[in-house]
Amino acid sequence: MVYHSSFVSEEGITKTCGCPLLPLKSHIKGPAPPSDPDSSDIVDEAITFFRANVFFRNFDIQSSADKLLIYLTMYINIALKRLEGCRTLAEGTKAIINLGLEDVPVPGEPGFPFEGLFSQAGSNREAELFRNYLKQIREETSGRLLSCAYRLNGTPNKWWLAFAKRKFVNVIVL
Amino acid sequence: MDATSRPAVVIDNGTGYSKMGFAGNVEPCFMTPTVVAVNESFLNQSKSSSSKANWLAQHSAGVMADLDFFIGDEALSRSRSSSTYNLSYPISHGQVENWDAMERFWQQCIYNYLRCDPEDHYFLLTESPLTAPESREYTGEIMFETFNVPGLYIAVQPVLALAAGYTTSKCEMTGVVVDVGDGATHIVPVADGYVIGSSIKSIPISGKDVTSFVQQLLKERGENIPPEDSFEVARKVKETYCYTCSDIVKEYNKHDKEPSKFIKQWTGIKPRTGAPYTCDIGYERFLGPEIFFNPEIYTTDFTTPLPVLIDKCIQSAPIDTRRALYKNIVLSGGSTLFKDFHRRLQRDVKKIVDARLAASEARHGGDVKSQPIEVNVVSHPIQRFAVWFGGSVLASTPEFYPACHTKEEYEECGASICRTNPVFKGMY
Repeated sequence: MVYHSSFVSEEGITKTCGCPLLPLKSHIKGPAPPSDPDSSDIVDEAITFFRANVFFRNFDIQSSADKLLIYLTMYINIALKRLEGCRTLAEGTKAIINLGLEDVPVPGEPGFPFEGLFSQAGSNREAELFRNYLKQIREETSGRLLSCAYRLNGTPNKWWLAFAKRKFVNVIVL
Repeated sequence: MDATSRPAVVIDNGTGYSKMGFAGNVEPCFMTPTVVAVNESFLNQSKSSSSKANWLAQHSAGVMADLDFFIGDEALSRSRSSSTYNLSYPISHGQVENWDAMERFWQQCIYNYLRCDPEDHYFLLTESPLTAPESREYTGEIMFETFNVPGLYIAVQPVLALAAGYTTSKCEMTGVVVDVGDGATHIVPVADGYVIGSSIKSIPISGKDVTSFVQQLLKERGENIPPEDSFEVARKVKETYCYTCSDIVKEYNKHDKEPSKFIKQWTGIKPRTGAPYTCDIGYERFLGPEIFFNPEIYTTDFTTPLPVLIDKCIQSAPIDTRRALYKNIVLSGGSTLFKDFHRRLQRDVKKIVDARLAASEARHGGDVKSQPIEVNVVSHPIQRFAVWFGGSVLASTPEFYPACHTKEEYEECGASICRTNPVFKGMY
């Protein structure tokens, strides 16, 4: 069975496009509310579960946090794919920065990976808010992913990079 | 001396390994891969030289081609060292596909491995529960015509696997046999020695799939294994290092925390150049067997986990047998030998059963209490050749000989007598 998100409580969480804006342990500027630095957040969860969930081809969504988990798993998959050819941490960081410079599509725009996972934004303001949240969470995920995918001495960690070849829910990653 | 006073020959031909020996023994004399290496260079030779002058050469080429073959481990090493031998696997997915190769295999089994005269011994062979009666006829034909055996019994593998457990505990011939072999996985309910045919479930995931999943994972990580050797390496890795875990994510964390304890090294020699190489064995150790519990991670075609299917199988069996079936789930076959496989299976089946019981109690509003169902997954040390062992036990009982089809019966009625094989007294 796939691993589901534990952030099921929706108390005090604002939602955009059907996606909860869960708090993050992050220094990066963005719309996400700050979270307790000692507990784990959705990004930690996505990274922990990634190596199990990436094997699955179906994902039954049990809570709206699961949707965000799916998005993040997909993003980690994309990021690993970019890191695949990078032999050092410096090269990897550069590849990730390049990935961060790319446009972040929101639901309803071409290039968004999961049609129908999130509802479409009602207004421009909502779309921008969601885009900023996704940007923030992507950047945060990339930072934490780099510390997993490379060892302390800057060499690639094959125990992570091997998963770049996997196709999460059978979606071909570009 | 009469053939019935000599021990019967018991041969269990599996997709991966064949187990052979004599009835009454505790262990089979040989366990060897079911594979035949045939030298096909003779055939091509006789085809190309079609001139009438060398008919003798052609004739002896034909004879040589018939004699020049190897089986088992010998076949594997021959085919590796020279390119004149072609490997053929006579059994796939539990069914005999290549009868010519199968006959050769039996020939070597009898004359070269067991070194007995087939005319002097009764034979007990096995078949998967889904075998067609026609292939039983073929088997009978080969045994009676080619080998001239005095008597033959073709037993159903799961029944034998149950019989293997029966000597150690009590005379229990009711149970579910979960037979995970190299080529096929069957879940077969047996009540009092009779297979409940309508409830047999089989899944297209077997030991071979574990091997190819391990191979795939090793390849994805870019481990340094020569491609021509990768399947064999994956098979050996599976047999030596794989185990069943209780939770994938927890297992990943364990590996990350203590890599020295969990990550193993594999050392091999490249077959072409003879240069040694090493590679790391990591997550595939627990991800391999996981495909039985989460088939989705390996294939899109089939997604029902093994515990769910066992439950479905028992639920479709007659209602008065169900409790007894849950109580005696017996494992057999090489691919159930992963460490803690039975524990995981028992936990998962128990979870399903308990959930259903709780749901039905909730429907009754809590005033009806049903008795808890006992779930027992039995594992024993001889699991690997349980089918063979059961055959050895049954064929050493005096009831075995009258249950066999004899040469006289065969000559009287023809191969069709092999279609049915009676359940005999020793079975329950």
